[in-house]
Amino acid sequence: MDYRTLLAAALGVGLGMLLIVAPEAIVRAHTTGRVPGERGGEYGTDSVPDDRVRLLVRVVGVGLVAAGLYFGATGFGML
Amino acid sequence: MRHPSLVARMAVVGSLLFAVYAVAAVVAMGAFGVPLWLVLIGSVLFVGVQYKIGKWAALRSVGAEDLPEEQYPEIHRQVEALSGEMGIEKPRLMIARMGVPNAFAVGRKGAGTVVVSEELLRRLNADEVEGVLAHELAHIGNRDVVMMVLGQGIASIVSIVAQWAVLLTGDNDLADFFLAIVVGQVVQMFVMLFVFAISRYREYVADSDAAGAIGGGEPLASALEKISQGNERASESAVDEQVNALCIFGEGRGLARLFATHPPVEKRIERLRN
Repeated sequence: MDYRTLLAAALGVGLGMLLIVAPEAIVRAHTTGRVPGERGGEYGTDSVPDDRVRLLVRVVGVGLVAAGLYFGATGFGML
Repeated sequence: MRHPSLVARMAVVGSLLFAVYAVAAVVAMGAFGVPLWLVLIGSVLFVGVQYKIGKWAALRSVGAEDLPEEQYPEIHRQVEALSGEMGIEKPRLMIARMGVPNAFAVGRKGAGTVVVSEELLRRLNADEVEGVLAHELAHIGNRDVVMMVLGQGIASIVSIVAQWAVLLTGDNDLADFFLAIVVGQVVQMFVMLFVFAISRYREYVADSDAAGAIGGGEPLASALEKISQGNERASESAVDEQVNALCIFGEGRGLARLFATHPPVEKRIERLRN
């Protein structure tokens, strides 16, 4: 059993789920400190990425889950 | 010492960030044979470039222009007085049309810029605008912008090193490339959790400094209340309902709190009024 492949599977599915459920999290993790956080939203709040960005992040999340499942299946010798 | 609790929190978070940076630096030196001086110069350059590009991009993306003194003499006078009170140089003042009431600060102490939106100036009265300006000046005075850039810089450096460490220790097969990308993102998000936590606390500190400079928290509390009430009305859209229905990242819930740079507005208002 290849543990690195299984780790790739587990982390991939986990990260993918996070991207689907909370696309703002990854966007904020990359934009905070690079651009002022409140720049895109109303004063006193965090900016919320627009719908297209959120959709794109969710699509990437689905891709990560799919890839994670593929590597999981490979790691367990199912493929 | 002006803010002992902030200093204590910064000591904890700063030590954690330094520890992960040190691990990344040791890995870079050990695994890739990069000399210490190159690691240090590379890190400073990386953060410096991020700082410069971030400031330029933020001002450019909102189309900020200098706030004309002849048109807004009161704002210039308020900022001059507040800057003197807070012991910082008067920052450059700019105005932009952002579509929402907003204001933000970029830059550092001595070279700061405060941008306010036309919508904010239209919606708030003079006292409330002064509260908002005082809060932004406090961010510059407390070097909050620089701290966020540093935090992001460390998160990015650690994430890149983690990614390469995974890549170079594997068999270069497809699963290894995938693992490297995922590990890089997970590490970045993990380090940023600490940066977000300190950012939320620094907002409270900026509120408290602003209240001290203008002689009370009511104007800023009132400004936040006015804007958030408008925001609540505007957020009754299908998309927001969809997001809130997930009950995990809706405003102020679960993960949203962990990944937020700002504390909940109602808590800030409560603290400002108490």
